[in-house]
Amino acid sequence: MEPKCHNFSRNVEQALANRNLQAAISRTTGRFLEHRNAAVRSFPGDFEAAREAASRLKLATLRDLDIHLSRFIEEAERRGATVHIARDAAEARDIATRIAKDEGIALAVKSKSMATEEIGLNEALEGAGIEVVESDLGEYIIQLAGEPPSHLIAPAVHKTREEVARLFSEKLGETYTEEIPELVAIARRRLREKFLSAGMGISGANFLVAETGSVAIVSNEANARMATTLPRVHMVVASIEKVIPLMSDLPPMLRLLTRSATGQPISSYVSVLTGVRRPGDAEGPSKLHILLVDNGRSAILRGKYREMLKCIRCGACLNICPVYQTIGGHAYGWVYPGPMGSVLSPLLLGLREASALPDASTLCGACADVCPVKIPLPDLLLELRADARAQGHRTPGEVLGMKGFAAIMGRAGILEALERIGGVVCRLLFKDGKIPWLPFILSGWTDRRDFPAPAVRPFRKLWKSKRGVLPWNR
Amino acid sequence: MCEHGEFASLILGGMAPSAPVTASLFFTCLADALYPNVALATATVLERFGVTVRVPLSQTCCGQPAYNSGHRKEARKMAAGFLRAFDGDGYIVTPSGSCAVMVKEMYPVLFRNEPRMLDLACSVGERVFELSQFLVDVLGVTDPLSAFKGKVTLHDSCHLVRGLGVREQPRRLLRAIPGVELVEMEDSDRCCGFGGVFSVKNPHISCAMVEKKIERILATGAQYVTSGDLGCLMNIGGAVSRSGYPVQPIHLAEILAGPPPDEET
Amino acid sequence: MEPLGSKDALIRRIHAALHGHDERAAEPGAGPPGPPGPSAPSAPPASVEKRVAHFSEALRSAAGTVMSGDLYAFLPALGEALRTLGVTALLVPEGDPVARELADALMPLGPFRLASTSELLHGNSPVTAGIQSAEFAIAESGTVVQTGRGGRTLLPGLVTEVHVALVRPDILVDRMEDVLSVLAADPPRTISFITGPSRTGDIEQTLTLGAHGPKTLIAVITQSP
Repeated sequence: MEPKCHNFSRNVEQALANRNLQAAISRTTGRFLEHRNAAVRSFPGDFEAAREAASRLKLATLRDLDIHLSRFIEEAERRGATVHIARDAAEARDIATRIAKDEGIALAVKSKSMATEEIGLNEALEGAGIEVVESDLGEYIIQLAGEPPSHLIAPAVHKTREEVARLFSEKLGETYTEEIPELVAIARRRLREKFLSAGMGISGANFLVAETGSVAIVSNEANARMATTLPRVHMVVASIEKVIPLMSDLPPMLRLLTRSATGQPISSYVSVLTGVRRPGDAEGPSKLHILLVDNGRSAILRGKYREMLKCIRCGACLNICPVYQTIGGHAYGWVYPGPMGSVLSPLLLGLREASALPDASTLCGACADVCPVKIPLPDLLLELRADARAQGHRTPGEVLGMKGFAAIMGRAGILEALERIGGVVCRLLFKDGKIPWLPFILSGWTDRRDFPAPAVRPFRKLWKSKRGVLPWNR
Repeated sequence: MCEHGEFASLILGGMAPSAPVTASLFFTCLADALYPNVALATATVLERFGVTVRVPLSQTCCGQPAYNSGHRKEARKMAAGFLRAFDGDGYIVTPSGSCAVMVKEMYPVLFRNEPRMLDLACSVGERVFELSQFLVDVLGVTDPLSAFKGKVTLHDSCHLVRGLGVREQPRRLLRAIPGVELVEMEDSDRCCGFGGVFSVKNPHISCAMVEKKIERILATGAQYVTSGDLGCLMNIGGAVSRSGYPVQPIHLAEILAGPPPDEET
Repeated sequence: MEPLGSKDALIRRIHAALHGHDERAAEPGAGPPGPPGPSAPSAPPASVEKRVAHFSEALRSAAGTVMSGDLYAFLPALGEALRTLGVTALLVPEGDPVARELADALMPLGPFRLASTSELLHGNSPVTAGIQSAEFAIAESGTVVQTGRGGRTLLPGLVTEVHVALVRPDILVDRMEDVLSVLAADPPRTISFITGPSRTGDIEQTLTLGAHGPKTLIAVITQSP
């Protein structure tokens, strides 16, 4: 999808004006958090120790990513997979389209995958005349609506049942119903036909196991199982940091992933898929293409943002983020929302497109506390802010303001003089001690808030001259 | 990035010190210019417990606004000024969780490529304490001896609770005040939407967040909302003052100091 | 066609990013072995009774149904449950005599008939219960494990409305690790960990069962032989 991160402030206005969206986000994030917290409380063992171990595992894997990735490729190919490498999104689209064409695919069913959203796979395949159907219910809904996902694991959280009912009746010609079980049944029936007739199933990967060349996928709806069992060709699209070294690394990562995502001890389904259908197998695809997407990751690996590649896409940082809770996912303007998106989008798209995102955080730290792999998200946001300023991305007046601020703060004497002048002037202008409007770049502050007028006698002055006669110190 | 020095190991015991204690007051630029009473109250409480309070008057701002908005050069300049002002010994006490975090956690990042400054930042940083943390963990204060009266709810500031891990200290002090009824709000540690430069760059989101916070404050029926960070109180207070909500923001230090004697009846 | 050697190029690129070497000097494949994985809490193996209890509790909290005890005692209840769910056909994989035996015992309890795999894969299929012996079951999470080993099909637990999994107590293990350690040496094409019925919360976060897979999962814990 075309990134719209540069329109962040306009996106925010729209989000804040949308009452349905506000209600939907607070309901969803609240429930996810509640479930997540309950799952953490009932965690078998020490949750903090498990986070620490998972963080160390991911970091150690990234440190030797070349080795683990080589092993993954070798083992997957040994078991019949064809591995493809895409350096960027455009190359990934080309390769995926060529695979589909070579395999003679007319219809592909997809299970949910952020990597395919990132590279814009659907549009590319559709452009080549291949029908692509999303099979995760949430993705199916937003595909019908022509919208991007607004949450990593609940892509249609912003849609009400009435909106879904309208979509199903308008786009699918189904009888209008607002009953959720009936809507789910409609999707089940319509998508079952697609699963049975599709030539190719496309999935992402939650983890790639280097030891065996296996692909691990979690799902609750069973759509990932359908898409990877029924069609004759399976294409996996995964970014390169999904690799974990060993099969035995999978269970501890899964324990953290599903609990952090939905609060489930385990998702309804976990598929561990290795290679192609073998002689004597009852079912399964006879062709397996694994498309590994770099798209900027090897550059991220190089520098101070490496820890971002630990992310396992659980969405916990979205749910807990007070900013995400206020504006929802679409405002972030691309496929990755919330705190993880505010770090990842600028890294993948560049700060020219997405420099507003790192600024869209209060640095409250809740995301870092909840992250199952301990990504220091606020620290990375701060690094991105510094990089953005160094590259010249700034709001009007910001640099001048900051230089002035630094100059005033450079000398206590100057500061005190200005404080006193400011205090006197403000008390003359604003007798009740409230400043109802601020100028220039500060004006937004006073839209719905007052600013306190500076004290006529700043503390440093009080301390020097009046100490001893102030009430507390008589 | 810093290794704990001897200083940290000596004071993290939480035992009441037997020797006289000296503390430098890191009063913060917000208190200095906008809320001088908060700095005075901090000094008052410290003196009440026998602390000799020094006030380095060459201090200005720790540099957090510059750092948080990515202006590292300016931030380094201000940080260097801070380190000059507070170089020496003894505790450094501040009525602000976020300014404490700036010095303790962010200075080492700012000076990560300057070994000499990094050493200085680490040695100054480990001397820094937020007021309630200092009172409870260092001085072992169990009763702040305050005559403050009122129904109070506590907003956990992000930097205090997640940056410094200070959650219980202010509550213990508040509960020990006979005239104070502490009522907890829902999600007391959810960000109020201030975020320093965030509130300037994203005012609409910030305002929506503070409205949510005020909703929860009002639900407690408290007369006062208190916090260990002036940024939060300025944000909450700005919205309260504009909309006339029936709650009064007050810094924790002011509650601990108690009402000034001439206001007592 | 992607450029020849794109895999080597990727590995070299990553190696250079990690080690700052000249890309040509990089030697993929060399280097220290990977780190040990995070060790999950491991407890001493539980007794069979404990495992059964854990399994049942965990599966029930994942919206699964558990029936255990003497098969002939709860057979009528199972038949009744299937009838209530509207089941008219039973799918039993070939080479699963225990499942077949249960299906035969169920036949008289309702108007059931045996379904074939092919009719389930061609639309307009009857409401079907797939009955299958599980290969493993995991006490920690209440999980039933099916794999494609030995030509087994996984369709009875996938394309049906009801999945009846037969769990012998001796296939119960404590944790997922215990299953993967057995399978890692030569993993079959498909390993499915199944915990409860298919579910979705994608419309207004309302939990709805039977999104794409079975609406109901019934684990039948059979007596040890």
